[in-house]
Amino acid sequence: MTEKPFDPVAAWQDMVQKWEHEINTWSNKMTESEQFSAVMGQATKVSLVAQRAFAEQMEGLLRSMNLPSKAQVDALAERLDAIEDSIDRLRLAIEAQNAGTSGSSTATPANTPAPRRTRKPPQEKA
Amino acid sequence: MSEAAVALSPDAVAEQVKREVDRALKRNIKGLDFLTAGRQEVGAMEKDLVHREGTAMLYRYRPVVDEIYRIPLLIVSPPTNKGYIFDLAPGQSFVEFLLQRGYDVFLLDWAPPRRDEAHLGISDYVDRFIPDSLARIADITGEADVTLAGYCMGGTLATIHAALHAGNGIRNLILFATPVDFTSMKLFQAWSDKRHFDVDMVVEKLGVIPPELMLGAFDLARPANRAAGRMHLWTNMWNDEFVKSYRMFDRWAAETLPVPGEYFREQIKYLMWDNALCHNRLEVGGRVADLSKITVPILSIVAEHDHIVSREAAQPLMTMTGATDREEIFTKGGHVSLVAGPSALRRLWPLIDAWLGKRSV
Repeated sequence: MTEKPFDPVAAWQDMVQKWEHEINTWSNKMTESEQFSAVMGQATKVSLVAQRAFAEQMEGLLRSMNLPSKAQVDALAERLDAIEDSIDRLRLAIEAQNAGTSGSSTATPANTPAPRRTRKPPQEKA
Repeated sequence: MSEAAVALSPDAVAEQVKREVDRALKRNIKGLDFLTAGRQEVGAMEKDLVHREGTAMLYRYRPVVDEIYRIPLLIVSPPTNKGYIFDLAPGQSFVEFLLQRGYDVFLLDWAPPRRDEAHLGISDYVDRFIPDSLARIADITGEADVTLAGYCMGGTLATIHAALHAGNGIRNLILFATPVDFTSMKLFQAWSDKRHFDVDMVVEKLGVIPPELMLGAFDLARPANRAAGRMHLWTNMWNDEFVKSYRMFDRWAAETLPVPGEYFREQIKYLMWDNALCHNRLEVGGRVADLSKITVPILSIVAEHDHIVSREAAQPLMTMTGATDREEIFTKGGHVSLVAGPSALRRLWPLIDAWLGKRSV
């Protein structure tokens, strides 16, 4: 009878997998209780209130140091997103207009013939 | 010491020690590379943005063959996740597979919603973003019919759209890990328990719901996964392919998207609490989404080890829809490996191709 040689790495991986499975199973059981839902609901409330309080304090601190706050950086990021959105729409509108005059599809790169839409599944071909 | 270890020849022991020392050295060298590396590149296939409306972005992947199927395919990504999960890397990309098999692939992907989009609700997704995308696809391809596919909540939105707009150009539905019966989403039910979870307060305070709020629930479902993942990574640090794959999935998970507050509120109230879609009483824009109105062919794909969307959660697609041509694939793997795993490339995706090919002419 041939036995597999002892592989310490495989044994370690096996152990990690078993540990992962056990923890996850335990967690599944725990999350089924109503007590868990109550704790989670409360934790969400507390964390939102704490976040708000912390953000307000931090904002004051950053303002006193003449540094931009997270809210200001977020607002800036949103404006950039909005600009990107507008540029995308403008580009698409221009491409559509050009396609209208040249008769080609806007989603096909220039000088690339559109593929034929006549493909059949292999068994039908046969 | 085990009997097997005693049975090893001195040469075999020497070979094993040499291999482990070699791997330990590589782990240290590559471990340093890992810590100093930037973001892992993702995306295998070329694509063009063909429509944009705030958070909604429609891409068309460039066909790679000369002859494609007549009916285009639109994949709806879940609003909480970036769509590049369908196109991670060459050899591990669902989109690449589809393009090579001759499909014309479009992807409805999402940018993080801005604060001025916090009011977007389910109706914006199913009555505006999906129909606008379909109209644009018809404009580009000249085809009125389309196969609509969706993954996770993207699948739920596709299902709601199909129920509301029956007979409006949807030729087939392909739904990956798509929840319809939300009472079977045990963990999320516990997390959003009506008696303890004040969704109105959360939406009012946050406007746009940050991903951390939802990621916490995922971590609770599988609290050991993160630590175990790191341990597996360290063990396999010598293996470049493993590390690359780990970094791609890690980046995708870390880039979970925020969602509009109103969409979040409606998802919790109508889907989680009321299970309205499953009871055919989900009202969107004054109309009821009735699953029995869906009569087009349906392919539902669920994974055996999916800890987010169980087989039961997707079961109404097989029992409550009006389709006579409906099929379920119950496959090995987990929630993400359906659309991105290397084993899906070998086992699952060819089955999808066989199902879809004959329905795409």
